[in-house]
Amino acid sequence: MSGIFLKKINKSFGNTLVLNNVDLEIYEGEFLTLVGPSGCGKSTLLRILAGLESSDSGEVFIGGADMTKVKPADRNLAMVFQSYALYPHLTVSENMLTPLKLRHLSTLERFPLIGPFISREKRNELTERVRKTAKILKLESFLKRKPGQLSGGQRQRAALGRAMVRNPVGFLMDEPLSNLDAALRVHMRSELSELHKALGSTFVYVTHDQAEALTMSNRLAVMMDGNILQLGKPREIYENPSDIRVAEFIGSPKINIFSCNVIKSNQVEICGFKIQGNFQHFMDKKISIGIRPEHLSLTNDRNCIKGIIKHRENLGSDFFMHVESPNIEKRIILRVSPEEALNLQVDAKVNFNFSQKYALFFNSAGKRVEVFDPNNITNKKIA
Amino acid sequence: MNSVHKSAYWFLAPAIILMIIIFGIPIIMALGLSLTDYSLGNPGANFVGLDNYEKIFTRSSYEKMFGATFRYVLVVVPLTVGLGLGAALLINSITRFGDLYKTIYFLPVMATLMAMAIVWQIMLHPSIGEINRFLQSGCEIGWLKNLLTLSFLGFEKMDTWFGRSCEDGMPNWLGDKDYAIWVVCFIGVWQGFGFNMVLYLAGLTSVSRELYMAAEMDGAKSSWERFRLVTWPALGPTTVFVVTISCIKAFQVFDIVEAFWTRGAGPSKTAYVMMYAIFEKGIKQNLIGIGASITIIFLIFVMMITLVQRYLVEKRVHYS
Repeated sequence: MSGIFLKKINKSFGNTLVLNNVDLEIYEGEFLTLVGPSGCGKSTLLRILAGLESSDSGEVFIGGADMTKVKPADRNLAMVFQSYALYPHLTVSENMLTPLKLRHLSTLERFPLIGPFISREKRNELTERVRKTAKILKLESFLKRKPGQLSGGQRQRAALGRAMVRNPVGFLMDEPLSNLDAALRVHMRSELSELHKALGSTFVYVTHDQAEALTMSNRLAVMMDGNILQLGKPREIYENPSDIRVAEFIGSPKINIFSCNVIKSNQVEICGFKIQGNFQHFMDKKISIGIRPEHLSLTNDRNCIKGIIKHRENLGSDFFMHVESPNIEKRIILRVSPEEALNLQVDAKVNFNFSQKYALFFNSAGKRVEVFDPNNITNKKIA
Repeated sequence: MNSVHKSAYWFLAPAIILMIIIFGIPIIMALGLSLTDYSLGNPGANFVGLDNYEKIFTRSSYEKMFGATFRYVLVVVPLTVGLGLGAALLINSITRFGDLYKTIYFLPVMATLMAMAIVWQIMLHPSIGEINRFLQSGCEIGWLKNLLTLSFLGFEKMDTWFGRSCEDGMPNWLGDKDYAIWVVCFIGVWQGFGFNMVLYLAGLTSVSRELYMAAEMDGAKSSWERFRLVTWPALGPTTVFVVTISCIKAFQVFDIVEAFWTRGAGPSKTAYVMMYAIFEKGIKQNLIGIGASITIIFLIFVMMITLVQRYLVEKRVHYS
């Protein structure tokens, strides 16, 4: 019952429309990522869900109850911020104790001097909870330190700890890893996933990093210009993007986009090569084909797409070749194995090819279109 | 290792030399003079030991000096700090007219106090002053008089301050020894809190918005709880600075007293503040020795405040 449901959320700042009628259902216990470029409204959506910002219209349901007008403190959600937002004057254990104190102790019991005196038992219980959480997060040895004396990763953990101690319905995370260095970020990715599995509660995660979105989430929602363009499992989004903007945003390096002309109702032409398919709705219109770098393969066959290597990118396990090809405006990126890359230097001439089934077709509005008979997709190379 | 030490002194030298010239030597000279009966123009001076200090701690006019100074400091410091913080928080919370309020509150800080003192003197005049005329008009409006004399609660006319003033005439603010120092305090607050407000406004800009959001998520529902959890700790360093500066400024009050009562520090010396005493003894009466000893005592007070500040407050203040 503790699923989260956002219904027809609208929000503008001044004349800028930030969220445009957004609907989103988050299932209980899932790890859902909102991913998109800066300014797409993902953080605003998260804040509306948290109650920190109010929407112009629309409703927020948490656990089946309408929470649209409820204060953030009463929504029982916990949030982890990009800057961690730890109280700098309190130690880690005091930081983690704060949400418990504010919830479980009355105003009188929080009163200085007499407060600790009349609520000793309760306080011991709360301290015990902090200790348990700290143990899970391996924070025990830092409990007496202040945030200023911790490294980025430790602060991150302390912020997580503060969120975890009170067993919230859901965790909201606003780019929590973007202040960490690269190695730690990769490490924390797996740790967060494991934490999610161990706790079993709902995680809503906001990021602009598509790698974080793909690696951690059960489902991800790609947002752009105040709309959710596509919502689905990471693999689905990667393999079957429904919009050219999604295809371009998800995947690194970026997908290659070729624009080509429909010449016959059953044929398009790309760099002089023809692809058969059902194009009868796109006659005399532009159509774009997207092919991911790993789906382009080098070949010795001279009759394929030709190009000259302009730049080599060495990633260790892979090489990315930036290739310039006549008739194609943008540089094409293709992935090759290190063995293949050995004899490919800058300015080398290459021929490459792709298999038709990997080609993603987008119409002139950027929407995905199916051109192949779904029962008859072949591995056929284009040339 | 040795060379490191040497270079350290070289780096410190400019600051230390300046300190000695500007602070060290004058303080030592004042200390020396305070043990003599020197007057300007005299060829020499006699060493009198601690006689000057003995006078200060035994004579009644100096008792009045301590009374007036401590009254002023104890009233003005908490009020300027409190009002400065309050005004800063209010201005920070509104979206419109913030600049207007900032200007209004800051104007007294920029104004020349001597000129303002003349304006206040006219306003506080017992018979023709605006303030008494305004108060007097309250006596003539029936319901307002009832309200202010608390007669609706069953008080007799002569039980309340306002009722008595209506009967016997409004107070002579600057000429009555019951009011004089408090009027000086009021003007000190009016003139001083705008400066603290600006310092607090600067301090408030550095408080992270995410911290307030975190506090809200953590269950701090009232703005008071958020103030206690986020704003007040974040303003710690500002508060240390504001309180220290306000204390030192309050001990230094002089010009308003000099402007109001050119012939001697208020009715029966009720506004005989320390700075005025130094000026009167050391400059007007040319008793340099005793002036120097008041100065030394003054310095000790300021020193003590600064030290207490460091030990009591700074220990609990977090500098991020």
